This record gives sequence, structure tokens and C-alpha cells, in this order.
Amino acid sequence: MGYEELFPPNDLKEWHPNAAKRFASPFVDNYHDRIDVDPIMLSNAAVHCGFTIRDFYEKPELGIHCVGYVAELFDLLPVTHWFFSLPWVRELGVTLEYKDTLPPVSTGPIISEPEDVLKLEPIGKEELLKGSTVPLYYNLYDYVQKNLPHTLVPISYGFDLCGAGAELVGVENFIMWTFTEPEVAHKLVDTYVETSINGAECLADKYGSAMLIVGSVLANNDIFSDEQVEEYSAKKMRHYTDQCFRRGAGPQVFYHLCGNHETDWKVFKNNLIWSPFNVFQIGYEGQHEFPADKLKENFQDVTTIMPGVDTKLMINANPKKVYERAKEVLLAGRDAKKGFILGTCCETPPYTLPGNLLALTRAARDFGTYGTW
Amino acid sequence: MEYIIADEVLANIEKRGLKVDDVKSVIEGAGDDRIYNGSVFIAKKEIGDLTVYARYAVDGDKVTVEAGYCHKMKILDIVLVGEDSEWKYCKNGEVVKTGHTNLTYLGATRSGPSLVEPKSGQSWIEEYLAAGALTTAEGLFQQKRA
Repeated sequence: MGYEELFPPNDLKEWHPNAAKRFASPFVDNYHDRIDVDPIMLSNAAVHCGFTIRDFYEKPELGIHCVGYVAELFDLLPVTHWFFSLPWVRELGVTLEYKDTLPPVSTGPIISEPEDVLKLEPIGKEELLKGSTVPLYYNLYDYVQKNLPHTLVPISYGFDLCGAGAELVGVENFIMWTFTEPEVAHKLVDTYVETSINGAECLADKYGSAMLIVGSVLANNDIFSDEQVEEYSAKKMRHYTDQCFRRGAGPQVFYHLCGNHETDWKVFKNNLIWSPFNVFQIGYEGQHEFPADKLKENFQDVTTIMPGVDTKLMINANPKKVYERAKEVLLAGRDAKKGFILGTCCETPPYTLPGNLLALTRAARDFGTYGTW
Repeated sequence: MEYIIADEVLANIEKRGLKVDDVKSVIEGAGDDRIYNGSVFIAKKEIGDLTVYARYAVDGDKVTVEAGYCHKMKILDIVLVGEDSEWKYCKNGEVVKTGHTNLTYLGATRSGPSLVEPKSGQSWIEEYLAAGALTTAEGLFQQKRA
């Protein structure tokens, strides 16, 4: 039995066409219905359907079908995604293991000496086609094309360029080498970046284009200075997007700045490549959600913005609090010039409460209806 | 002028729905309104609803066309100015920068990466973008505005 036999079809008469029109609206200045809601739902979708976090990651086709199915329940995005934060590292030698309560994690560093890093080479397209990540995504999108074609957006994930490079040597070594052996730290990130670009080209070759998701997760102000975030993350993200565009990927880009970007947010605007279809998200300013009005003020001229509600609230048994916070976020940013999506500050937690997801959508319906402000 | 156009370049021009005469008219009408990097030039011209580009090298009377391409999105104002590129604007000698420009299509205005010359306010789109990400973007605009 295929996973598709576990799910009834989406409502393709009313829900999906309306959600699709709503989803398109902030990008094409053709406002429809209300502000969209994207809680970056991953394994939470599997949990809603009675599966486990491990199921979500071990069985990508099942996982993505859960995302597509549950989106209708909470009137979320009409498109599907499935990802974890370490694509392409297996091809570089890292072993990942599945966990019951986590996305796949590395079993440990594979390089301990700086001179060994300098011998690293990016993985080329031919090898990637025979590796694990490209076939994983080919299988996944082929499944979606066959069973959920109305939700298909082929996506290539660069994800955390700095953090994924660091996984090869361990985060502690990487951070130390950014100070003591900067050329080694750059070589690590660059090797991962070039491999990811080759991967994006594989996706673009097959599907004609590929949305890009790329972020700055390890590189944030809890760990690095603004200058280091610029050197090890923002400039790498620029190179990644630029090269992916040159190889046929894009034009959709989701920039995800996870964690605390209290002051380093300033280095991203002039470094990133802004396309006609990009969404920009910053998670936190210190311990608090990155302010929606600040995101709007500084980025609305180049991108659709996606400010969010703190993910901690999503597992708190208090839907009213989620609703009130979402209201504040909406009121502060909903009139952003190039569009607004209501998010959560990062992936909504696996055990997010259904009442809290409803609270997000309820707030978008109450305070994000176009034409009422 | 003697034009040299390789078969592959010609095939790309035709695949993009352009005529060779369109590309020639861009080149012949450019005057100083073009950018250069060594002996290679990029010139653009609005033809109907399209902005048509020619990238070409000049050697005496010989013009080697390296690419002809176009986009439907209309160029508006410069949004961001970045680092120096290797290009210069013939009209004023200024160094052309990497940057971002507002582009409008089917009533929507969005920004995209471009080459920009801030003093004149001029922007140019490179071939890889016009024929790649921007073409896909134009298709998405058409679908999503429908």
C-alpha cells in the first residue's frame, strides 16, 4: 500500500483554489482574502495524523503527504514542503541517524585536523545524482507530482550554509577556527555551498526550476559578531543564490534567519540577492520575536516579509495568548509594501497544539483581511 | 557592419521568440547607451512590450553577437546599489555596480538583481537572469494573476 492510500483527497473545489489565490496574492499585488499563515509545519503535520516525528523524517513521502493534508485543516499554504537542516552533508561523508524526537542528526565530526579540511572538494553533479540527497528529493517530488500535484513546488535546500559546513568538523572546532584558522573555516563553508549549488542545479535540471530555501542559523548574534555573520553567512548566502540562479534554479527564495539576529540583521540587506519572489524571515531579536514593524521598515522595499509568533507559545496551552500575539504581529506589519505572511519564528514544534494553530488562522482572519485597513 | 552569429547563439535568439533583426536594431541604435567590459558591450532597447538586449563584441566593422535575450518585466527605479562590477557605462564613463532594480509586470512591482548605474538611473539585466529566473518569474506572474 502506498502512503497516498492513507489520505482522502484535498478539497480541490473550494479550499485549494482559494488558498492558492491567497498564497499568490502578496507576490503579485493582487490581494485576495486575507494574510496567509505559514507556521513552517514539518513533523507536527505527521503528529496531527497519528504518526511520529521519526516517521516524518524516515518516510519523506508520508511526511509530505501529512503536510499537504493538514494544511487544509488549518487553512494554511496550498503548497507542500519537506526538509531537515542537513541536506548534502551525507555526500560529504557525514553519517546521519534518525531519532525518535528529532530530525536526523550527525553521528559526529568526520574531520579533526585543519589540513584535512583544505583537501576537501565540493561534490559534483554526477556524484550527487548517485548520492542520497538528490534521489531523496527526486523521489519526493515525483510522489507529490503523482499524488498531490496541486501542491508541488520543487525546492532545493541550501539551508544553513555555515552550520552545515561546521558539522563536518564539529561546531566547537568550527567556531574556534573562525578565529584561529579562518581560511579553514571558509573552506568548510565553501565546500558545502558549492555542493549545495550543484544540488540545486540537479533539481532545476529535472523540474525546470527550483525554489531555494537558505538560512543563517548557526551564524547568529548568540555566537558570532556582525562581521563574522556577514563573512561566514550573508556573503555565502549571496553566492549560493547568485550561482543557483545562474544554473537555472529560482526565482523563488525563502530566506530564513533562525535564532537571535539582534544586530546582525543589518548585514543581510545589501548582501542577499532579492528576486521577484522572495520571502524574508528573521526569528528573534535577543529573546523576543524579531519586531514585525522593524522587519517591515527595513525590508519591505525588496521582499515579502514573514514575521512570526514565538514558537514557545505554540506548545503552551493558551490559544488566546497565541491569538493576541499574532494580532500584534499582524497590526505591526500587515501593510508591508511587498506583502506579508504571518509565521512562527521557526518551525512550529512537533507537538504544537491544534488550538494554537487555529488561533493563528483566526487572528489572520480577524486582523489580516485585505481591504479592512 | 558585418555580423557574426554562431549557430548556438542564433538558436537561442529564436528560442526566445526574438528575430535577429531585433538584436541588430538594439546594436545599431545603441550609440553611447550601452555598457562595456573590454571589447564586449551590452545594449538594450524596448521593442513593443519587451526589453531586448544584445551582448556583443566589436572588432573594427565586425560585430560578434554573443547573446540576444529579452524580458517582459519593465524596468523601473534602482532599489539597491552594491559593489563595482567589471562593466562601465559608455555614456558617462561611470563604473556600473551590481544592484537591484524594481521591475513591474502585469500590475505587480517586485525587485530583481541587476547591473545598475546610479548617476544615470539606468539598469541592465544579464542574460542568465533574463533567460532563467526572470522568465520563470514572468510565467508565475501570468499564472498567479490569472
